[in-house]
Amino acid sequence: METILHVFFNLEVMKQALPIVAAAFPVSLIFGFGGFLLAIPGGLTLAFMKMARYRLLRWPATVYVDVVRGTPLALQILILYFGLPFLPIYNVIAAPLSGIDVLGINATVYLRGLLILSLNSSAYLCEIFRAGIQSIPRGQMEAARSLGLSLPRSMAFVILPQTVRRILPTMMSEFILLFKDTALLASVAVMEMTLASKIIAGRVFNQSSYVVAACFYLLLTIPLGRLVSYMENRLAESEGDAA
Amino acid sequence: MSTRNTTSYAEFAQPVVRIKGLKKAFGDNVVLRDVNLEVDRGEVVCILGPSGSGKSTILRCINLLETPTSGEVWFEDTQVNAKGTDINKMREHIGMVFQQFNLFPHLTARGNVELALRQVQKKSKDEAKDIACEMLERVGLADRSEYYPSQLSGGQQQRVAIARALALAPHVMLFDEATSALDPELVRDVLDVMRNLAEGGMTMIVVTHEMSFAREAADRVIFMDEGVIVEEGTPTQIFDNPQHERTKDFLGHLA
Ligand SMILES: Nc1ncnc2c1ncn2[C@@H]1O[C@H](COP(=O)(O)OP(=O)(O)O)[C@@H](O)[C@H]1O
Ligand SMILES: [Mg+2]
Repeated sequence: METILHVFFNLEVMKQALPIVAAAFPVSLIFGFGGFLLAIPGGLTLAFMKMARYRLLRWPATVYVDVVRGTPLALQILILYFGLPFLPIYNVIAAPLSGIDVLGINATVYLRGLLILSLNSSAYLCEIFRAGIQSIPRGQMEAARSLGLSLPRSMAFVILPQTVRRILPTMMSEFILLFKDTALLASVAVMEMTLASKIIAGRVFNQSSYVVAACFYLLLTIPLGRLVSYMENRLAESEGDAA
Repeated sequence: MSTRNTTSYAEFAQPVVRIKGLKKAFGDNVVLRDVNLEVDRGEVVCILGPSGSGKSTILRCINLLETPTSGEVWFEDTQVNAKGTDINKMREHIGMVFQQFNLFPHLTARGNVELALRQVQKKSKDEAKDIACEMLERVGLADRSEYYPSQLSGGQQQRVAIARALALAPHVMLFDEATSALDPELVRDVLDVMRNLAEGGMTMIVVTHEMSFAREAADRVIFMDEGVIVEEGTPTQIFDNPQHERTKDFLGHLA
């Protein structure tokens, strides 16, 4: 018992780790929020492709989603982190960023990390969006179209507003997952919270810094998780009303 | 298309809806076979028939919610099911009321009526609001304009749906069993609105099981069975002197 306390809850080490992990907290936040925001248009595009009438649109989206969801993110990070720089397009975007540092990390590292996380998350969001859109009764689209609204306008003003309300809790759960998964960027030396705490642990031969990092993750995930439950309950109530 | 503020003789002479040799199949299931129908301006046509006889499918072919397998559907001087027809423009002038109301649950009654005024007819905010309030008043729901559909009774929801279609000043209104999903005590308010419309000269195609409505309001009654028009005539002809066995059977079952 004594040793567990000493190894994981050494107050001296925790005090020492706190400012360092805290400094890495915004880095994890940038990757979490940024990756998620970028994934939303990506997921929406994939969802519409998967629902398209033409096989030429459906097929690539299906393959993409299957591959991304069928392989570990840890592996995707290793492949893309070193693979992206071989893409000409990537270099066009990255070139002007190479001189800029944010929170002590080069902007191209953010670019790569954000791209990888959003490419991953967009596959999951795709399925969330698609299920959400398809859960809206057919009559809604028919009523919109019968009023003369075009397909895009029917989507924008009738289907998507109802979809967002329904899938918001699921989307937030997906965000929580993505935020925790930013830790996997440690494997390619991105100095986010998990790597920061690991470096401290290695230096002082004590694991207490990990507990500090865990607390920082929980700082965001517990309130958000509560919010998700609250929204799910409210949604269930309002859907009950409508029925 | 011609402007609508001058009514030429040609427009009077021309049917609003003209269906020629309409056939519709879902896979192997032939739902409509050779349907022919013309509806004149101001005419109220009621379509009767057993469930599954293809009544809804006819209405849905008129505004192209279903694509006809063959045949022609004309709205005024435009063929609806021809390549290159601007179907959104067409639908603006063809009002449709559904059995399940299909109100937009995230919008208030007024929001429901305003949506197409704003997004299709590009009316200003104020203009759309004025029209929406006028339409809601016309269906007796002026005091419910800020309510959401879930806060309204079925009958009120259906009247909002009628107001929503009327707001676009349609040239014809299609009603698909508008009262079938309503509790009996709520049916009357909706039928009253429909009766007023008919008396006001609206061109209407009404699929209904409300025989008293058909008898009073219809200029012509059509009886359908198994995808064909079996018999048509004035309400008196159809109700009091049906010619075909199937019509007699159907009306007999209802009596
Ligand atoms: N979208 C569809 N796909 C397949 N079959 C359909 C579809 N819509 C209608 N049908 C079939 O067409 C037939 C006629 O339907 P409908 O026009 O709704 O009849 P009614 O309105 O007279 O009850 C029914 O047998 C129905 O099962
Ligand atoms: Mg029907």
